[in-house]
Amino acid sequence: MAEAMLSLKGIHKRFGNLAVLKGVDIEIARGEVVCVLGPSGSGKSTLLRCVNLLAPPEEGEIFLEGHDICKGPGSGTGEESWELDFVRQRVGMVFQQFNLFPHKSALENVTLAQEKVLGRSKQEAREKATELLERVGLGDQLDQYPETLSGGQQQRVAIARALAMDPHVMLFDEVTSALDPELVKEVLDTMRELAAEGMTMIVVTHELGFAREVADRVIFMDGGVIVEEGPAAEVLENPREERTKQFLGLVLDR
Amino acid sequence: MSQFFNQYFNFNVMGEHFGEVLVAFLQNLLVFAVAAFLALLWGLGLALLRQLPSRKLAPIRFITIAYIDIFRAVPILIIILMISGGVPFLTFLPQEVRIPHWFGRPDPFWYGVAALVIVYGAFTAEVYRAGIEAVPKGQMEAARSLGMSHFQAMRHVIVPQAITKIPAPMLNELISLLKDTTLVSVIALSESVLVSREILAERLNSSALTLTAIFFLVIILPLARLVDYLIKRNQLKITRGSHIEVA
Repeated sequence: MAEAMLSLKGIHKRFGNLAVLKGVDIEIARGEVVCVLGPSGSGKSTLLRCVNLLAPPEEGEIFLEGHDICKGPGSGTGEESWELDFVRQRVGMVFQQFNLFPHKSALENVTLAQEKVLGRSKQEAREKATELLERVGLGDQLDQYPETLSGGQQQRVAIARALAMDPHVMLFDEVTSALDPELVKEVLDTMRELAAEGMTMIVVTHELGFAREVADRVIFMDGGVIVEEGPAAEVLENPREERTKQFLGLVLDR
Repeated sequence: MSQFFNQYFNFNVMGEHFGEVLVAFLQNLLVFAVAAFLALLWGLGLALLRQLPSRKLAPIRFITIAYIDIFRAVPILIIILMISGGVPFLTFLPQEVRIPHWFGRPDPFWYGVAALVIVYGAFTAEVYRAGIEAVPKGQMEAARSLGMSHFQAMRHVIVPQAITKIPAPMLNELISLLKDTTLVSVIALSESVLVSREILAERLNSSALTLTAIFFLVIILPLARLVDYLIKRNQLKITRGSHIEVA
């Protein structure tokens, strides 16, 4: 196995009395694409939020490129800390609801954090943003505001926005779930290209076709634990666990 | 009936004292302008302090909430009297703070401004808070996931969106503030109500007060209409499904 990009050990996360993650271990290699499947409420999204410390875990360890990011003063409390900077500069995230900044144009959405966080000049940020927006097929929409873009276009801007920070890992949280069916493909195509370029990706999704085609590995979660994991073809075609079979059966029967 | 009319709407009295009352009313507008500017800033500051993240900063949040609650509850008149009647005797303060005459304005002017800013900062903070809380949670998450600090996210992402959501309620606060500038008359600032009362005492006629009321109406009625218009426009946006203003 290649060098571990990300490794999660015994992750526990609860919201109030509700235990959402009950001991999750995952090891992800550099350049690996992992799809996380599972019913809603199984803890998939929370897992992603743990990784970039939007929802720091209460228990367990997360190593990002060998650094323990759950340790040290302020960890686990949402405080400003070196871990946050370290993590957020290396981990990009794309959300189900896009979360573009509605008062900023597509271009400004992609330049804002480059300037404020990475300290790039206006010119540099602009060039990088233009290049990325062209790459996701939106070179002609630079000055559009989010409300005039389709959901698929907005989501591609959101991907460009995350990529502009030169992340080492990309997290995708059900990024096609809020899209009209005909807009799903354009977003998945963008993600396919990203995977082909060797980006390390954790993709929470219900798109089994995408998982089968792109994922190196599939993780099936239920009730806050990993029920089954393995190569995509194996888990999707020949699941061992009863719970996985049941879930895949329901999804495929739609 | 004519007695009533003469007491409140004596055009001779109004005409003779028009200039005097107008100049005094401009004093109200000046108090308003300075206090509104400072209260809008102070209120934003309070709102941001109230939204500070993390457990470690909870005491600051708590103090801010206490401040906002207290000064929304205490009558402004008391605050005005406490400042004008107390601050001059706090000898640990420098002279120019105890008895301020900044920019050629008399000390009651600044005591009044201070009281209004202290109180209206609390009120505007609540309006800002409503605006900030109306911004979807995902905006903060997206900004933070891009590596922005809480403060950067507030400044570049949350607050610019929040202020587009609150012009109507904020305008209501400003209307109240404008009216409350008349309270400063109790500490002998020559603003319109004080001057009108002097005229009342001299002429035993209330028409100068009516004139002052008319000045307020002339300024405030259009603002009230504007509030209604803003509320309607905002509702239209919500029903259209895009409640977010594009700058």
